[in-house]
Amino acid sequence: MKRLLIASTLVVMFIAPVFAHHSPAAFEASKSITLTGTVKEFRWQNPHTWIEVNVPNEKGEQVLWAFELTSPTYLVRAGWKSNTLKPGDKVTISGRPLKSGEPGSAIFTSVTLADGRTLGERPARLGGEAK
Amino acid sequence: MNRSMRRVIPALLLATSVATATTYAQAPAGRGQGAGRGAAPAQPAAPAEPLSALAPENLAKPRPKAPFDLTGNWFIAGGVQGWLFGRTPNVLPKLTPAAQKHFDAYAAATKENKVYRDDIGKCWPAGMPVMMTRVWPIAMIQLPTAIYMISEFMDSLRTIYLDGRPHTDPDVVVRTFNGESVGHWEGDTLVVETKNFTDLDKHWVDQGIPASKDFRMIERYKLINNNTLEGEWTLIDPQNWEGEWKGTRRWNRVTDHDIQEVECLPDLNEHLQSTSSSVHVR
Repeated sequence: MKRLLIASTLVVMFIAPVFAHHSPAAFEASKSITLTGTVKEFRWQNPHTWIEVNVPNEKGEQVLWAFELTSPTYLVRAGWKSNTLKPGDKVTISGRPLKSGEPGSAIFTSVTLADGRTLGERPARLGGEAK
Repeated sequence: MNRSMRRVIPALLLATSVATATTYAQAPAGRGQGAGRGAAPAQPAAPAEPLSALAPENLAKPRPKAPFDLTGNWFIAGGVQGWLFGRTPNVLPKLTPAAQKHFDAYAAATKENKVYRDDIGKCWPAGMPVMMTRVWPIAMIQLPTAIYMISEFMDSLRTIYLDGRPHTDPDVVVRTFNGESVGHWEGDTLVVETKNFTDLDKHWVDQGIPASKDFRMIERYKLINNNTLEGEWTLIDPQNWEGEWKGTRRWNRVTDHDIQEVECLPDLNEHLQSTSSSVHVR
């Protein structure tokens, strides 16, 4: 039961940022994908930061993936800066994919940078728990 | 242009502008106007404009001390469930046939892993009640005459007037997504009635549940302790559900964050497939 509770909490943590701007219905909360590619763009902005990464598919073609992150407010608290990523950086990035199985879009969960550092994001939540 | 014309034209322009300005500045028509030859016909007196909530004379009026002060930053408690009004722990009301069509379409889209009419995702304003429950902080500034609430997302403004004014005539009011809120104190409770909502079909109470222009909310707020605000809500919209739809929400005080400018810009959706891809059902 405790394990289930932890798993549920993690799912909630991963989904929470999505609610900040749009419905999360299209994303698969229980699945994770990990891809290695090259950063095309890292946009540090409200309400969502995003990372666009070119990822080669099995045919060797470059497929553009957009990973949605929470707002900079929460990313700063998880160790991010506006210059954490720049175009051309090699990264290994993980996220929750579309339920439809289409490539190209995911809700970000973590990234491993070229220098070996791994960054996640803090849940989009402020203040204490409900009394 | 000769010298005399150069003198006359500025004088005429000045005279015209003074006459125009006088029209706005003078006493109500019919008072203090000459009845002699050439006088303008008497106009009905315009009603006096009420004092604004920020007028010094309004702020200075004697009023009982408010039982609590909401000034501060607040954040919806309970995380994910807090954004959807109609899910746990609340029970859905009986929807009208018109609303049921939307809800059924939403349910069908969800089964197909699609998103139904996510107008918020397309940068339309969330409006009430979602403005209060989405996962963004709300800055609240309380004065004796009004409470100003600004949701960090889209800098959405909500004003609750406390200076005794009635709601605006529905034939005059400009309808909005957050509606027009008028509140008063009942003992230790802030009671707010909000109506005059937009008639655009982009305003949703919840996913698949629309809000019409006849949507109305009664909110009863209490400060449970200095850091916890509780609101009991009653939602009424005869176009979309039967009777009263009730629910309770809590907000926690936030002391380590200031709201920022957060715009929903077109390029955001161009880069996020979750709001621009084929999974969206219109």
